[in-house]
Amino acid sequence: MSAAPTEIAVRREEPVPRMGFFTDTTTCIGCKACEVACKQWNDLPADGWRPEGRGGSYDYTGRLSASTWRHVRFVETVKPSPEQQRAAQELLAQGRVGALPDLPATAGPGGPAPGPRDEELPSLVEVAEGITASARLGGEGSGADGALLDRWAFFSDVCKHCTNAGCLDACPTGALIRTEFQTVIVQPDICNGCGYCIPSCPFGVIDRDPYDGRAAKCTLCYDRLEDGLEPACAKACPTDAIQFGPRDELVEQAERRVLALHERGLDGAYLYGAGDEPGEQLAGDLGAFFLLTEPPERFGLPAQAESPAQENGPTATAAGLAAGTVAVAAAVASFVVTHHRRRR
Amino acid sequence: MSHPHGPPPEEVIRRRERAREQPPGRDITPAVGTRGMPARWRRAVEGASVALARPAWGDARWSYLYGREGAARYGSDRPADGEVAAAARRMRGGREVPVPALGPFINPPVWTWEVPVYFWFGGMATGSSFAALAADVAGDYQAAALARKVTLAAVLPCAPLLILDLGRPLRFLHMLRIFKPRSAMSMGAWCLVAFTNGAVAAVGADLLERPRLARTAGAATGVLGTYLGSYTGVLLAATAVPVWARSRAYLPAIFMCTAAATGAAANRLALAATGRPPGDPSRQALGVLETLAMACELVLSGVNERRLGRLAESLEHDTPGRWFSVAKWTVRGGLALRLAGRRAPWLQHVTSGLFLAGALAFRMGWVGAGRSSAHDDEAVALMARRKARPLGREPV
Repeated sequence: MSAAPTEIAVRREEPVPRMGFFTDTTTCIGCKACEVACKQWNDLPADGWRPEGRGGSYDYTGRLSASTWRHVRFVETVKPSPEQQRAAQELLAQGRVGALPDLPATAGPGGPAPGPRDEELPSLVEVAEGITASARLGGEGSGADGALLDRWAFFSDVCKHCTNAGCLDACPTGALIRTEFQTVIVQPDICNGCGYCIPSCPFGVIDRDPYDGRAAKCTLCYDRLEDGLEPACAKACPTDAIQFGPRDELVEQAERRVLALHERGLDGAYLYGAGDEPGEQLAGDLGAFFLLTEPPERFGLPAQAESPAQENGPTATAAGLAAGTVAVAAAVASFVVTHHRRRR
Repeated sequence: MSHPHGPPPEEVIRRRERAREQPPGRDITPAVGTRGMPARWRRAVEGASVALARPAWGDARWSYLYGREGAARYGSDRPADGEVAAAARRMRGGREVPVPALGPFINPPVWTWEVPVYFWFGGMATGSSFAALAADVAGDYQAAALARKVTLAAVLPCAPLLILDLGRPLRFLHMLRIFKPRSAMSMGAWCLVAFTNGAVAAVGADLLERPRLARTAGAATGVLGTYLGSYTGVLLAATAVPVWARSRAYLPAIFMCTAAATGAAANRLALAATGRPPGDPSRQALGVLETLAMACELVLSGVNERRLGRLAESLEHDTPGRWFSVAKWTVRGGLALRLAGRRAPWLQHVTSGLFLAGALAFRMGWVGAGRSSAHDDEAVALMARRKARPLGREPV
C-alpha cells in the first residue's frame, strides 16, 4: 500500500519509488553508530546525561525525541543468579514462603515491574568479567551475587514514515508534508510549534524541542536522498541491520529473511509494518519497517496502530456536532418555554 | 554601521541567548556547525557530485547481504505463501498484552495551562452565543444583546492564549496558511477566527443600532458555536492518547455540556448584574439551562469513566485526578445549592460561580489526564491490542 498521490507535495519529472528502511533486529549489535551518524549529519545537539531517563537499562539516550531521530533501544531482561535461586529454594523447602526475597522477574506478565529495576542490573564490567571467568571455569557461575543478565536485545527505532501518518493528518500549518519518496518531513520554516503532531503520533516519534520550539523528527535524510545518497544511519550501520532502498525491494528481502529465520527455528520472527494483509496493516503500512522476534510491547511499539485523526476524527466530529445541535435546541427551548409561561 | 566598542549587538544577544538556553546537564552544541548560525548547505562547487557516491542509491547495495554469497545465507528463496503475514498476526494479533509493556510508547502532549484555560473561555463564548440565539428567538432582545457582549468578552482572550502556547508564537499566522478538513486544529483555528469576527460584527452592529444585522451575526456565531464548542473534544479525541482517544464519542459531548453550562452561568450573572429581577424569564431560562447542562456533564462523565475501565485510571490519580474530584464536588455542590436555595437569589449566584469554577477544573483535569495517560505504558499497549480484530482465521 502506498500513500494517496494527491498527498505528495513534491513533484518530479520522472517518478521515484517509495523509499524506506528495513531494520533487522536480529543483526543489530547495539553499537549506536546509527544514532551518532544521524546526529552528526543532521547537526542535532547531544541529549546529555538524563538521570530521569529509562531506569533499569544501560540505554541512556532513552527515547526518540526532537533531537534524537534514530534511537537504539536497549531491552534488558535479568534472571536470578544461581545463588539467589538456591537461597530461594532453601527458603521454600523450609516452608518460609513469606520470607522469599524479591527475585528479579521480568520475563512474564504479572511481574513486579515492566522492566528490570536499576539496582537489579548487573554492572557491565562484572558481566564482561563474568563471561571470561565462566569460560575459564567451564560455564559455571559468574562470581556475582546479584542477578544475571539474561538477554540483551537491541532495537534501532526511527520514524516509521507511515502511509496513514498521524502527524501529517494533525498538522494545521502544512509544515508536515509528504515528499516524492513518500516519506514524511517537517518543514522547519513553516512549523510554529503548536504541538498537535506530538500526541497524534501512535509511535511516539515526533516531539517538540523545548529549546527550539519547533517539532522535529527523522526526515529519512531527505537532503541526502535528493543527491542519490543513502541516509546517514543506514550508511553507518556496520552489520547492515539498517537497510535502505525502494520499499518494494526491501519488503521482498525482509520476507525472505523471515522465512530463513523460521527455517532455522526462530519461529517468533515477524515483520512489523510490512507484508500484512489488507485490513491488518499498521497505519496503512510503514515506510520504515522492522523485523522483530518478540512481541512489539517489549520494544515500546503498539500491536495495532492507525492514524488517530482518521480513526477517531469522524466519530468525534459527528458526536460533537450532534451535541452542539442538541445544546442549541435546549437553549432555545428553555428560553421559549419560560417566556411563553410568563406571557400567559 | 560599525561597532567600535566590542562585538556587534546581535553577537552579544546571541551569546546571552546561548548562555540562557543552556539547560542544566545538557550540552546543546551541535556536532557540526554553530548553534544559532545559518546552516551551511550550499555546495562549494555548484553541481559537484559527492565523492565515491554511486548514483540512484547504488551505495545501499554495496552491502554484503546483497552479495551472492551473503544473500543465500541471509534470506530464503522458497515462496512465502502467507507465512509472513501469519507470523505477524501471531505476534501482534491477540487482544491480550502477552509481555510487560516496556515504554515509552508515545510522547506526552506538550500543552501547558493555556490550552485548558482556552477551552474554558471558548466554551463560555460558545454557550453565550447559544444564549444570544435563544434570547432572540424568544424575543428578549435586550438579553440577547448582553449575551453577544459576553460572547465577545469570552472569545477575545482565546486567540492570545493559543498563541502563547505555540513553540514559536510569532508564527501564529501560519495557522491560517492552509485549510485542512482532516486536521481538527486547522478547522478549529478557522472556526475561532470566523467566530471571533462574527462576535465582533454582532456587538458592532448592536453599538451602531442595527438590530437586524446584530441578530443575523449573532445567529451565525451561534451556528459556528456548535463546532467551536465541540471541536476541542474532537481535538483531544483524534490523538493516540488512550484516555482521550477511547472517549471519542463522549468527549465532544462532555465539552459541549461544559460550554453550554459556563455560557449560561456567565450570562445569568451578567443579567443579574444589569438589575434583572430573580423572576425574570431569561434569568430563569439560563438557570434551567446551566443546571441541565451541568447535570448532563456529570452523567456523561460518569458513564464514560465506567466504560473506559482500566484506561480511566489517569482520570483518578495524581494531579488530574485531584482536578476531577474538585470539579465533581464543586458541580455537585452547585446542583445541591440550586435545589436547596430556590428562595435566596444570592445562593443562585453562588451556584453559577460554582459551575464556572467546576468547568475550569474539568478542563484542567481532561488536559492533564492526557499527559498522565500517555505516560501510562500499560494503557497504551492495552488500547492498541484491543484494536485487533478477533482472530477469526487461526494462524497457519
